[in-house]
Amino acid sequence: MKPLTPQQIEGIVRMVNQTRDREFNCSECLQHVSEFAERQLAGLPLDDILKRVEHHFTLCPECREEFLALEKILRERE
Amino acid sequence: MFPELSQDFIGADSLFQHASEPATEVCALDAQQLEILRLASCSRPDKFPLVAETEIDWPEALRGTDEENSAAIGALRGFLLNGLRVALRDRKDVSEAQLEDFTQEALLRILNRLDQFEGRSKFTTWAYAIALNTAFAELRRKRWQDVSLETLLADGAQLGDPDIMPDAAFGRDEDRNRLVAALRRAIQQRLTDKQRAAIIGELREMPFDQIVQLLGTNRNAAYKLLHDARRALKNHLAAEGISALDIRTAFAL
Repeated sequence: MKPLTPQQIEGIVRMVNQTRDREFNCSECLQHVSEFAERQLAGLPLDDILKRVEHHFTLCPECREEFLALEKILRERE
Repeated sequence: MFPELSQDFIGADSLFQHASEPATEVCALDAQQLEILRLASCSRPDKFPLVAETEIDWPEALRGTDEENSAAIGALRGFLLNGLRVALRDRKDVSEAQLEDFTQEALLRILNRLDQFEGRSKFTTWAYAIALNTAFAELRRKRWQDVSLETLLADGAQLGDPDIMPDAAFGRDEDRNRLVAALRRAIQQRLTDKQRAAIIGELREMPFDQIVQLLGTNRNAAYKLLHDARRALKNHLAAEGISALDIRTAFAL
């Protein structure tokens, strides 16, 4: 295994730094992402639950990728 | 022949609810109207039908009598397929046949979890999210299917090694180097083999679903595994006198 690059080490540091005691897992994120996407698109404020969705995206690239795809559909539908 | 659909069909002015409003309970359309919706969605592969997606009480229609139920399923299927076409149209590696498969699988998932729809968004937005989750999970799985758990575990075992995470990784930046040394000790002392393997997978931008599969667990359990690992590292750093503010300052986060 090659030594980690500074960018990879920084990636671990970021993961640690963004850690909260209570976080949404992927299933919880999926349960709320549709509401999050609609409110984001409408420029409406987020409540605490939806802020957890937003936080989950900082740690989970897969859920973020799915959210961006959902946003694409909703924009097309507008 | 079915009539051509237009914005006037079933009251176009009220078709799209404002996103802040909860999904409304509207009387289900009759079977013929639902069939029209289905045909409309199937015959316009590149655009969304002009009719509303929210005009129907979808959960009610999907649970309805056989005739109503099959028409609603057909209509929803059309929306999902079109949605996936839009979301994945830049992906050259996705065929129409795959889109059909994803749609079918997503439909089954949606029908199995109708009780979980809380009405906090439009039903179709909720359904699109599930369809996307289904499609992306499958696409990611195929991309990384040759990586083994043994490789991840072996690399994970080296994660806390000074050769892999050198003390001087950041040159003369003392603050960062001190933090890296503490982080390495935390990785050595606080994490399990599986947690180290999961972190290696994350660092390599391996899809989380693939990590889940390799670990032989489910997505929630794997997320908890990683969350526990991150918390353990954070707590270890705190015990060594390194606060979240120190981390943010050192790395300009």
